Amino acid sequence: MAIAAEARAAGRWLGRTASLSRDRRWALIASYACLVVFAIMFLFPPYYMLVTSLKTNAEIAALTTNPWIIEQGITFEHYWGLLAESSFPIYFKNTVIVAVLVVAITMVISVLAAYALSRLKFWGSGVLATGIFLTYLVPDSLLFIPLFKVVGSLGLLNSYWALVLVYPTLTVPFCTWIMIGYFASIPKELDEAALIDGANHMQMLWRVFIPVALPGLVAAAIFAFTVSWAAFIYPMAYLYSDDQLVLTVGTVTTLIRGDVFHWGGLMSGALLAAAPPVILYAFLMDYYIAGLTSGATKG
Amino acid sequence: MVAITATDAGTGGGSLRRLLRRRSTIAVLMCVPLLAVVLGLVAYPAVYSLFLSMLNKAETKFVGLDNFLFLFKRETFWMVVRQSILFALVAVLFKALIGFIAAHTINTIPAKGQRKWRGMMMVPWVIPAALSTLGWWWLFEPTYSAINWLLAEFAIPAVPWLSQTFWARFSVIVVNVWFGAPFFLIMYLAALKSIPEELYEAAAIDGANAWQRLVFVTLPMMRNIIAITVLFSIIVTFANFDIVRVLTQGGPRNSTHLFATYAFRLGIESGDIPLGAAVSLFMFPVLAVLAFVILRNVRRRIQAI
Amino acid sequence: MTASGSRMSRRRFLGGTVAGAAAVAAPYVKTSHSAGRLSVGLWDHWVPGANEAMEKICLDWGAANNVEITLDFITSIGNKLLLTAQAESRAETGHDVYSVPLWMPSIFRDSLEPVDDLVAEIVSRHGPLVGVADYMAKFDGSWRAVPAPTGSLTLAMVSRLDFYREHAGIDLQTIFPAGERDPALVATWTYDRFLDAAGKLHGAGFSFGAPIAPGADSQGWLGQVFNAFGAVLVDAGGEIAVDSDETRAVLDYLARLTGFMPEAIYAWDDASNNRWLISGQGSTIINPPSAWAVARRDAPEVAAQVWHHDVPKGPAGRFRTSVPFFWGMWKFGQNKGAARALLVDLNERAVVETMLRASQGFDVPLTVSFRDSDVWETATPPAGVLHNYPVRGDEQVIVAGYPAPPAIASQIFTQAIMADLVARVTADGEAFDDAIGWAGDELAGFMRG
Repeated sequence: MAIAAEARAAGRWLGRTASLSRDRRWALIASYACLVVFAIMFLFPPYYMLVTSLKTNAEIAALTTNPWIIEQGITFEHYWGLLAESSFPIYFKNTVIVAVLVVAITMVISVLAAYALSRLKFWGSGVLATGIFLTYLVPDSLLFIPLFKVVGSLGLLNSYWALVLVYPTLTVPFCTWIMIGYFASIPKELDEAALIDGANHMQMLWRVFIPVALPGLVAAAIFAFTVSWAAFIYPMAYLYSDDQLVLTVGTVTTLIRGDVFHWGGLMSGALLAAAPPVILYAFLMDYYIAGLTSGATKG
Repeated sequence: MVAITATDAGTGGGSLRRLLRRRSTIAVLMCVPLLAVVLGLVAYPAVYSLFLSMLNKAETKFVGLDNFLFLFKRETFWMVVRQSILFALVAVLFKALIGFIAAHTINTIPAKGQRKWRGMMMVPWVIPAALSTLGWWWLFEPTYSAINWLLAEFAIPAVPWLSQTFWARFSVIVVNVWFGAPFFLIMYLAALKSIPEELYEAAAIDGANAWQRLVFVTLPMMRNIIAITVLFSIIVTFANFDIVRVLTQGGPRNSTHLFATYAFRLGIESGDIPLGAAVSLFMFPVLAVLAFVILRNVRRRIQAI
Repeated sequence: MTASGSRMSRRRFLGGTVAGAAAVAAPYVKTSHSAGRLSVGLWDHWVPGANEAMEKICLDWGAANNVEITLDFITSIGNKLLLTAQAESRAETGHDVYSVPLWMPSIFRDSLEPVDDLVAEIVSRHGPLVGVADYMAKFDGSWRAVPAPTGSLTLAMVSRLDFYREHAGIDLQTIFPAGERDPALVATWTYDRFLDAAGKLHGAGFSFGAPIAPGADSQGWLGQVFNAFGAVLVDAGGEIAVDSDETRAVLDYLARLTGFMPEAIYAWDDASNNRWLISGQGSTIINPPSAWAVARRDAPEVAAQVWHHDVPKGPAGRFRTSVPFFWGMWKFGQNKGAARALLVDLNERAVVETMLRASQGFDVPLTVSFRDSDVWETATPPAGVLHNYPVRGDEQVIVAGYPAPPAIASQIFTQAIMADLVARVTADGEAFDDAIGWAGDELAGFMRG
C-alpha cells in the first residue's frame, strides 16, 4: 500500500495545495449539514417535552391544535405545581444525596482497585480485572429480587440508603475500567521515581496518580453520577414513601394517578430532573472527554 | 500497615520475592472494597438467583434444570430470545454507527464550535431514560401522536408506532438508539482526541485519502475503545428494561419483550419468580464468553504497550 | 364524622361480639395502656383526597385503641405495590397490614395470615360479600385477606348519550335510568345490539374504544365478553377448555366488533381509552369513572354527555368484571392482635361510606349491603351519571380469567392471553384454530406447580 500511495502522492502533490481550501470548505459544509441532522434527531423529543410542559391541560388534551407549538398561551403551572405543591423538591434532595454519596464511594473503590490492578500486578489480577466487568452480565432486573433479603435484613427497605448500598454495583465496574486505562497510561518512570523518594503506595497514589489522572477521575465520576441519577429499577423495588423516593420514580408515581397521566407535569418533571446532569456536563465536558480514554485507546 | 510495608519496600534492599509478596498484599487490600461490592452485592445474589431458578413455582422443591427445559419448550420464550438478540444487535449497531459518524463530524469542525454541538448531542444521555421514554411514548401515543400529526401535514398516513409488531420493534429500537448513541459519541470523541496528530501527518505524507486515514489510522487506534464501548453497550442493551416497559409493556402479542421485561412479567407479575430468574439468567453464558474474549484481547493490547 | 364513625363501630364491635371475635380484639379491650405499634401499607388511592380521608380514619382508630399507627400509601403505578409486597414477603419484614388487590392474595397466599374468623365477623355484621371475593381471597377453604374499605372498582360501560341518541337511535337513559329500571328494556341490551350500535357510531366517526393489549383494562373488558359468550380458557377444575365452540363464537364476534374500533387499540394502555373519550372521538369506553372525572376538568362539554351503564348480555349471561381490593396481614407481622382488630373495624359501614364519598363514588364496596349508598346518585353532570356504575341489575361480578383457579387465572390475566388470542385473529389475521392452538399451548405452561 505504501508504494502505491507514494506513487499517487507524487503525482498529485503539486495540484493538491490549490484545491485544498475548497475541499476543506465543502467538507466543513457537509459536516455542519450532518450535525444539523443529528441535532434535530437528538433534540426533537426534548423539544416536544418542553413544549408540552408549557401547555395548559386543556391544550394538551385538545386534538385540534398543532402539537409542536404552544397556541393557547404559555403556562408555568406544571413547573409551579411540581416545585411548590408536590414532594418533588424532596425527591430532588434525596437524589442529590444518593448520587453524591454513590459517586464518592465509587471513586474510592475504583481508584484503589484500579491502582492495584494496573500497578501492583498480583496473582489473579488479570482475572479480577476481567471479572469485575462481567458483573454487568447479571442485570439489575434480576438482582433486585435476591437483594430484597440483603436490603431487608439491613433494615433498609424503603430507605434511600439502600440505593447508596446497591448503586455501586452499577457504577464501580465501568469506573474501575476507566481508571485502569488511565493509570496504565501514566509512565512507569513516575512511580519508580516516587518509590525511590521513599513514598509508600498510598502516598504515591494520592500525590502522584490522582493529580495526574484527574481527567480520568472526573470522567469516572460523571459516569457514576449519570448512572445513579437515572437508575430506575432499584428505587422502584425498594422505595415507596414520599420522604425516601428519588426523582425518576417519584416523578412517575406522583404524576401518573391510576389511568390518568398528568402530561404537563411529567414532562416538566423530566426536564427538571435532567437539569443537574446537564449543568454538570456543560462544565466538565472537557475533562470528561480528556479522561474517558487516554489509556484505553492505546493499541 | 500499608505504610510500613511500602516503606520497607522502598528502603530495604530485601529479596525480590519478599517485595513482590508485600506488593501483592497491598494490592489485595486495595481491592477489598471492590471485592466486597462484587462478591456481596453481585456474586452472592447471582448465585442465589441461580438457586432460585432451580426451584418450583412455590419455591418449595428443587427441580434442577426443569425451569430451563420448560422454557425451551415455550414458543413465546423463543420469540423473546429472538427479539432480544435482534433488539440488542440492531440497536448497538446503530448506536455505534451514529455515535461514530457524529463524533467524527464534530472532530472535523473548528475547535471552538465543538463544545456547543457536542453539548446538544449529549442531551438524550442525560435525561433519565425512564422519564424521556415517557416523552417518546407521548410522541407515539395513538390518539395524540405528534409525529403522526406531522406526517399528516405531508399527507402521509398515520404510522401504528406501537400497535403493529414491525413498528413496535422499530420504535423501541429507535428510542434505545436515541438514548444510547450519545454515550458512543462521547467515548469515540474522547478516543479521537487522543490519537496523536503525527500519525495523520505521516499518513498524509504517504498520500492517504480521508477514507484510508480512517481505515488505517483512526480505526486501529480506536480498536480498544470501540471494543469496550460495544461490549458494555451489548450487555446493557440486552438487559434493557425501562424502554420496553414504558413504551409497549412487551406488546403487541409479546413481540417486543426482552429478557428483562419478560422475566418481570413471569416473575413479579405472575408470581413465578423461579421461572423469571431462569429467563434472566438465560443469556449469561453467551454474554460471558463474548465478554471474556473481548476483554482478554483488550487487556493484551493494553499490556503490549 | 369519620372519627366518631370508627369509634362508634369500635364500641359496637366490643359490645356485640361472641367469644371467637372477642378473642380477636382481646388485647385492645384495655385501652388504658399502649397496645403497641401497627404499621400499615395501603394502596395509594388515585382520587385526590381519598388518602387523606383514609389517613384520618386510621389515625383516629389508633388514637381510640391506643395503637401507634404508621401509615404508608404505596402506588400501584409500575407495580410498586406488588414489588413492595415481594420485597416484604421475601425479607420477612415490613408492614403489619398490607393492601393486596386483585391477584395478590393468590400470589402471596403462603405469606398471608389466615383470617377466616375476621371475614366471618364482617359477614355476620354486614351481610354477604359479592361472590367474586371468595374466588379471589379464599384458598383451600381459608381466607387470606378481608375486603378493603376502599379501592375496589368495576368496569362499566361509559358512553356518550348524545352520540347514541343521534347515531344509533338508542336512549341509554331510558334503558338504564338513574332510578327504577325496566328489566324488559335492560334485556334488550345485548352484545348483538351493541355491535349494531357500534357499527353505526363508527360510521358516524365516533367509535367504541377499548384496548386489546397488555394492561388491566384489556383483560377486564375482554373477560366480560368472553364470559358472556361462555368462552372459558381454563375451567373451574383447572382443565384447559379454550378449544370450544364458545371461543370460536366470541372470536367471531370480536372480529366483527374490532372492525368498528380504532386500529391503534392494540397499543392502547389503561389510560388510552380515557383519552379516547375525553378527546371527543369515543362513543363508548369500558372503565371506572376516572375518565369522566378528568373530562369534567379538561373537557366539560364531553363530561356533560357521559353515562355509566351496564355491559351487554351474551348467550351465557351478563358479566361485569371488577378489580377487588383486599387487606391482608403478613404472617411475620409484629402486632397481629392490633392488625386483626383494625381489619374488622375498618370494614364498618361508616368507614366505607366515608371512603365512598372521599373517592367520589370511584369505589364499589365488596359488601353487597353497602351498595345502597347515595354517593352515586349525587354525582353530576349529568344528573345520575354514576347511578348505574355499581351493579344494579342482572350483571354477575367476576374478574377476567374467571372461573379458572386463581393461580392460573392470574397468569391468564397478567400475560394477557385473552387479548393476545383475540389480536392474533383480529389484527394478525390468524385462523381461529391456529390462535386457539397457541393459547392452549400458553395455558399448558400455566399448569406448573
